[in-house]
Amino acid sequence: MSQPGVPETVLVIDDDYAIRLSCGKILAKMGLRAETFEDGARGLDGVATAKPDMVIVDLKMPGISGMEVITRVHEIDPQIVIVVITGYATIDTAVQAMKCGAYDFLPKPFSPDELRLIVNRGLERRRLAMESMRHEIEQTVLKRRFVTFVSHQLRTPLVAIHQYLDVLRHLDQTSDTAARRQEWLDRCLARIDELQNLIADWLTLARVEGGTLFKERVKVDLNQVIREILKTYQQMAEAENVLLEASLPDGLFVWGDRSCMSVLFDNLITNAIKYNKPGGSVTVSGTESRGEVVITVADTGVGIPEECRPFLFEEFFRVKNDGLKKTAGTGLGLPICRKIVSEMGGTIHVESEAGAGSTFRVRLPAWREPEGADGSQNHAGQAANIDCR
Amino acid sequence: MRDKPRILIVDDDDDFVEAVAFVLEANGFTVSRGRDGAEGIRLAKMERPDLILMDIMMRERTEGFFTIHEIRRDPALTSVPIFVLSAFCTRLPDFEIPSSGGWLSHDMFFAKPVDTGQLLEKIRQRLGQTA
Ligand SMILES: Nc1ncnc2c1ncn2[C@@H]1O[C@H](COP(=O)(O)OP(=O)(O)O)[C@@H](O)[C@H]1O
Ligand SMILES: [Mg+2]
Repeated sequence: MSQPGVPETVLVIDDDYAIRLSCGKILAKMGLRAETFEDGARGLDGVATAKPDMVIVDLKMPGISGMEVITRVHEIDPQIVIVVITGYATIDTAVQAMKCGAYDFLPKPFSPDELRLIVNRGLERRRLAMESMRHEIEQTVLKRRFVTFVSHQLRTPLVAIHQYLDVLRHLDQTSDTAARRQEWLDRCLARIDELQNLIADWLTLARVEGGTLFKERVKVDLNQVIREILKTYQQMAEAENVLLEASLPDGLFVWGDRSCMSVLFDNLITNAIKYNKPGGSVTVSGTESRGEVVITVADTGVGIPEECRPFLFEEFFRVKNDGLKKTAGTGLGLPICRKIVSEMGGTIHVESEAGAGSTFRVRLPAWREPEGADGSQNHAGQAANIDCR
Repeated sequence: MRDKPRILIVDDDDDFVEAVAFVLEANGFTVSRGRDGAEGIRLAKMERPDLILMDIMMRERTEGFFTIHEIRRDPALTSVPIFVLSAFCTRLPDFEIPSSGGWLSHDMFFAKPVDTGQLLEKIRQRLGQTA
């Protein structure tokens, strides 16, 4: 599998010296690692040691036949992509080779462009195959054992704490070690907090899923809910040098559970502060139209790389921002948000530009004046017993 | 010959690495750290460690498997001992490392948290040192 910084390896097995030489040069120019061998036996040894991504083999060679090389290469690693070199007169053999497991063929004589094209195509296929193998293993290991996965997440901070305490127990009590002792104890406390948050978030998620968090459905004013949250995080935002702004009309009403609405916007707003940049801002705005309340939480923060966006609402997913400061979190906030929103018949979407900021948009069905009832009375909260589910 | 044996730890938990590295360094090993698979592969190729300690679950996936596989593809690293340290499960068979994954019979598995005394003993044994 290709890893950043590790060139892919292509092996050329051909008895023709000129072909070995030119292929070697072209492949090296493509940024690949190329190795060449003059016959099947040496080539197979080379495959066993170099573990290449691709093998280009001449079908007509003295010694071990090209056809046999194909089979033996795939015995070593079935994922290696094989391309055969054939003379024009032997297209039939090329077809036969593909039946044996070769991926493609290069009829002699071929141009550097033809070689490059086929190599790129073959390596692309190899990457896809490796990616899907990787994916398949991850699926079976993780998804089928979600409970195992969750317990692993819960165990991770405990392991770190245990490991520190174990070393601390054996650490001599000298002035040298005093600072380290203090630092490690602080780290242990931080990891305990992490565990507490994990358990709390996990419980919230389970409650939303089980429907028990929705104690009641009442007319909730999101303007009020959001302003309270903004007030709570004013200090945290100031500490991060992030400006909090709101543009909310009076009375943005939905049917929902007050505490759920708090959890939802608490998560979105704390994310917008946490994943921001000094001097950045968070803007919460809301509108109501055609029976729908739309709230957006927009930030000018670090943004979310495109390849991460599909996983954002999955449990425990966190973007690893190499080089950026580490931000504490559980990876459960957005899954909780998604569950709450869908429970209410709404949707949540994200738009983002890596490095420039993110906008989370929540759409919820607006509270409606119950039919046949007197509006002014409803305002007093008596509509709570009307089932809107 | 280097005077101090070099151990590479590939693990995404900084605290775990810090604690284990402290014990190893206090016992005469040179320790380098990789925070994910790609970094682990890079360091393994560059530093040619005498032994590798490998976590399995990194970046919310079973990245350790693929890291072992990839490290083994380097001709110079085909037989470097790899000890897996994981909290993912408590027994090796649970892993089902793909046969092409490069698991060797002299490699070992340790459940996290690790007993550092036992880990040290096994590392020394593996490297042919006497305590
Ligand atoms: N406003 C945002 N800007 C940039 N990244 C974000 C934002 N909100 C969420 N993310 C990314 O999505 C991940 C998951 O978010 P969440 O589920 O709330 O978990 P947590 O915040 O605990 O990590 C975060 O770790 C972060 O990488
Ligand atoms: Mg969050």
